[in-house]
Amino acid sequence: MCQITRCRLTLVAALFMSSAISAQPAAPTRDYLVLVASESVDRVALVRFGAAGATIERERYVGWSTMEVAGPHGVAVAPSANQYFVTTAHGTPFGRLTKFNTATNVAEGSVMLGNFPATAQVTPDGSLVFVVNFNVHGEMEPSDVSVVSANEMVEIARITTCTMPHGSRISTDGTKHYSACMMDDELVEIDTRTLAVSRHFFLTTGKEMGMTGAPPARGAVAYAGHDMGGHGMEPPKPGDVSCSPTWAQPSRDGTRVWVACNKSSEIVEIDVATWRLVRRLPAGPGVYNLGVTHDGSKLIATNKRDASVSVFNAASGKELARIPTTRRVVHGVAVSDDDRYAFISVEGIGSEPGTVDIFDLMTLKKVASVDVGQQAGGIDFVRSEPTKR
Amino acid sequence: MKHLVPLLALPQFALPLLALPLLALPLLSLESQPAPEIARIVVSPASRSMTAGDTLLLRAEARDAQGAVIPGVTFRYRLGGSARFEGRVDSLGLVTAGSTGILPVTVTATLAGAKPKFEVIEIRALPGPVAKLELSPTTAKLVTGQRLRATGRTFSSGGDKRADRVLWTSSNPAIATVSDAGLITAVRSGTATISGSVGTVRSAVAVTVVAASLTSLSITPGNADARTGDVLRFAVSAKDAAGTAITGLTPTWSFSPGHGTIDADGAFVGYETGEYTVTASFGARSVESTVTLAERDVRRPLSLVGRLARSRFTTEEVWLHPDGVHAYLGSGGGGDVLYALDISNPANPTVTDSIITNTRRVNDVMTFPDGKFLVFTREGASDRKNGIVICSLDDPAHPKVIAEFTDGVTGGVHSSFVYKQDKFGTFIFLTNDGTGALHILDVNDPYHPKEVARWKTEGRPDAGRSLHDIDLRDGLLYASYWNDGLVVLDVGNGIKGGSPSNPVLVSQFKYDLNALYKQVEVDGGPGFIRGTHTAWRNKNYVFIADEVFPAAYPKGAKDAAASRAYGRLQVLDVSDITKPKVVAWYEPEYGGVHNVWVAGDTLYMGAYNAGFRVFDISGELRGDLRAQGREIGHFNTADMDGKVKNSAMTWGVVVNPKDGLAYVNDDNNGLWIIRIEPKPTVKVVP
Repeated sequence: MCQITRCRLTLVAALFMSSAISAQPAAPTRDYLVLVASESVDRVALVRFGAAGATIERERYVGWSTMEVAGPHGVAVAPSANQYFVTTAHGTPFGRLTKFNTATNVAEGSVMLGNFPATAQVTPDGSLVFVVNFNVHGEMEPSDVSVVSANEMVEIARITTCTMPHGSRISTDGTKHYSACMMDDELVEIDTRTLAVSRHFFLTTGKEMGMTGAPPARGAVAYAGHDMGGHGMEPPKPGDVSCSPTWAQPSRDGTRVWVACNKSSEIVEIDVATWRLVRRLPAGPGVYNLGVTHDGSKLIATNKRDASVSVFNAASGKELARIPTTRRVVHGVAVSDDDRYAFISVEGIGSEPGTVDIFDLMTLKKVASVDVGQQAGGIDFVRSEPTKR
Repeated sequence: MKHLVPLLALPQFALPLLALPLLALPLLSLESQPAPEIARIVVSPASRSMTAGDTLLLRAEARDAQGAVIPGVTFRYRLGGSARFEGRVDSLGLVTAGSTGILPVTVTATLAGAKPKFEVIEIRALPGPVAKLELSPTTAKLVTGQRLRATGRTFSSGGDKRADRVLWTSSNPAIATVSDAGLITAVRSGTATISGSVGTVRSAVAVTVVAASLTSLSITPGNADARTGDVLRFAVSAKDAAGTAITGLTPTWSFSPGHGTIDADGAFVGYETGEYTVTASFGARSVESTVTLAERDVRRPLSLVGRLARSRFTTEEVWLHPDGVHAYLGSGGGGDVLYALDISNPANPTVTDSIITNTRRVNDVMTFPDGKFLVFTREGASDRKNGIVICSLDDPAHPKVIAEFTDGVTGGVHSSFVYKQDKFGTFIFLTNDGTGALHILDVNDPYHPKEVARWKTEGRPDAGRSLHDIDLRDGLLYASYWNDGLVVLDVGNGIKGGSPSNPVLVSQFKYDLNALYKQVEVDGGPGFIRGTHTAWRNKNYVFIADEVFPAAYPKGAKDAAASRAYGRLQVLDVSDITKPKVVAWYEPEYGGVHNVWVAGDTLYMGAYNAGFRVFDISGELRGDLRAQGREIGHFNTADMDGKVKNSAMTWGVVVNPKDGLAYVNDDNNGLWIIRIEPKPTVKVVP
């Protein structure tokens, strides 16, 4: 008798060996479904990937008027997979979080949040949705994280964190929420029970430091001269040692938090218990979003300035592969429930379509690709199921 | 607690290194006591109404399943999004109602280790105490026996309209009485003050009563022939027995049948053809005029001259070069293209060139007055820098990018307006999607645009402010400021000493968008989209159009094609620019009102679902323009081959002064070139 996780690891290892021997990615034996939001065209696509390749199963228009772009940015599937949540970033003026029924695509509720709601995630018990209000277009002032009751679609708390809170993730046990502060070079930890900031961490090279409580509020003057680096598209200027974090990803066992330093092209690893820096991992140019396999073994990173995806050994920090994507401006990561595939959203530039690239995490190769609406960003895994015929 | 979680979170291999069993057991035993479950939240006071402008302190208690108060609970108070502009609540539960409405407050209780619990309460914010009472009329000169209805409107100090019953009194009932309903009756000659009061707030109507010795009454015009929609200004002259003119009398105006309006100043407009009797009454004496209204008869057929279908992207602004033979067309819905068109043959518009930039929407494009340059806007750039792009038009068929400006406008620019004043030169006035601010750029050197000023409305956070569109005439800037209505700025006119580098507020016209479009909330739920969207100054009027969409399309509908726009065009009389006032309006039965263009006495409109519309705006404007038959024509710009099939979403229009043709862009399907045909002659069939 073995634990489920261990059995899965054995199975995965067997699959890996099998793949390695054949050197060819084995065709998927199941179908995998992911949702991806296309920010410029107000659509969320359900992508099916299976033995027949990747196709758009259906699309849902999530805007409020074809005349104005609502800007769906974040997608979060409920643990039950019965609902999914979409943040629309560009409201007039505030954005919204809307809940859809996964089976019918019918909207089941909506709530107005802050300025440019972006990354969203549902707590493991399905009760709350955490959404960062990125506030990318306003003045340089502290923004916040919204907490929404998933059933009632009521915003129950707005937690001030820092300037331009960005990519965020909740710990596996659901007790902590981590978000990156793009303009403050900080990581922020929220206690999901008290709904308050418990700790923060300075990420700038040479100034790494963990602190308790919320980050200090900064005035707009503190940001004079700061640039957004083309939202992660421009390399740092000479002498710039800032991190410009764009994603916070807790490890599966909760002992570590990895932070993507978009500007310095590093992944900062922080020990959750001691709240100290463990190491800075060299990463791909403009590392942007992160994902981790369910078994905790692999860390996947999108490289926004490089049109590639990196796969790391989570324990050693070694980059196992850097694989080109179909297009430029690589965005989000979703990992299949069996850890076999990584689904990567790629924004494209201008009128180029968005793309979902699918990578085999055993062979570390791209195995499929499908174009979706422009500026594909938020992505989340829905479920796998027997192959559809 | 703070130590326990990290310890438990350590990797398993680390645990033997610590004397955890010894150290942690006492902690575990303490921590093993589960946090009490919060069963409910009790919020006081139980009575939840307050006056706008006032404050109300909320108190909350958390109770367990047995009803016992749970100590140590932290409460958070949050105002619901639908009331974001109507009030605020602080961290201690102090609610401040900024204006009237329902304030939903979410009270959240948290306790370390316990699942958060919340309760939503609703606080009704009523108008603040009456601070101003406006009476109409403010003066009246009546003859004995005459009756005149006075009306009163009350407002709070915050300008919220109230529904108070006005208490009427007369300072001298022997001269003039007033009923509870405000009906003034002139009794005998003399003066009296008719006072209206609500609480301690009073206002007065100065009434002068003259003896009923009118022996001669005449009304001008006597009998009149006019058309529906024509404004006829009636005046009365009266003489006493000696033949002396009695001036300044206040007639009591009425008319029948009731298809139209007449104002206290005697301005009458009728909506339907036929005979009307307009009456000016002075007690027992009255005088009438008969008005015969004929059809306005402005209807004309519209025909299609040329077409440039677009289906890859949505189609945004169309703009014509001053030479009249070149045009430019934006793209949206992911569009990164600005098209240059040759329209020398309007029957066959052709694309001569295109510019692709890092954007996903080219919403607005405009040439410089001399036609040597153009500017277009960017939204949705992949590097999120957006801003504007300036092109040279050495060859108008082939624009070349010469500069861009992104500083401070990375959030996107929706609209821009190029404006030249002899005194200051050429400037671009643009909207900032991110902050709702107006940015003003000096482009006297178009290769090096330089920001010289910013301006924004006060009293809102950046996230609550939205500037949608800009119009400029005679050094006055008309800003369509969404929630803040129409804002007029002096940017060179001189009325307030303004200049491009120093814009100065002249006036603001705000109106209750929620009340105006309350049916949209019924149709599509709360949180619907509405705001002042477009303005156009013409003569002594400013036309403002609202953009209105429901929050959600009809339940059960497949997609947004089932949705629709709403909206109203309001005509503001700005004869006194410091006091704009609504005098007329147009609201389509179905569809919205988007961009407008005025040339001569004709107003052209992209009316979204309602297609392309043309209106006669000749003469004075009063009342309901649709009811009075001022619509010249309609063209349904739908196309089975559009990006959205068989569905008009008419965006805007530019009229070519060279040939009078209307260049109409439809968001769903491209460019339409439309002619307004002459009125057809009636042919008698032999």
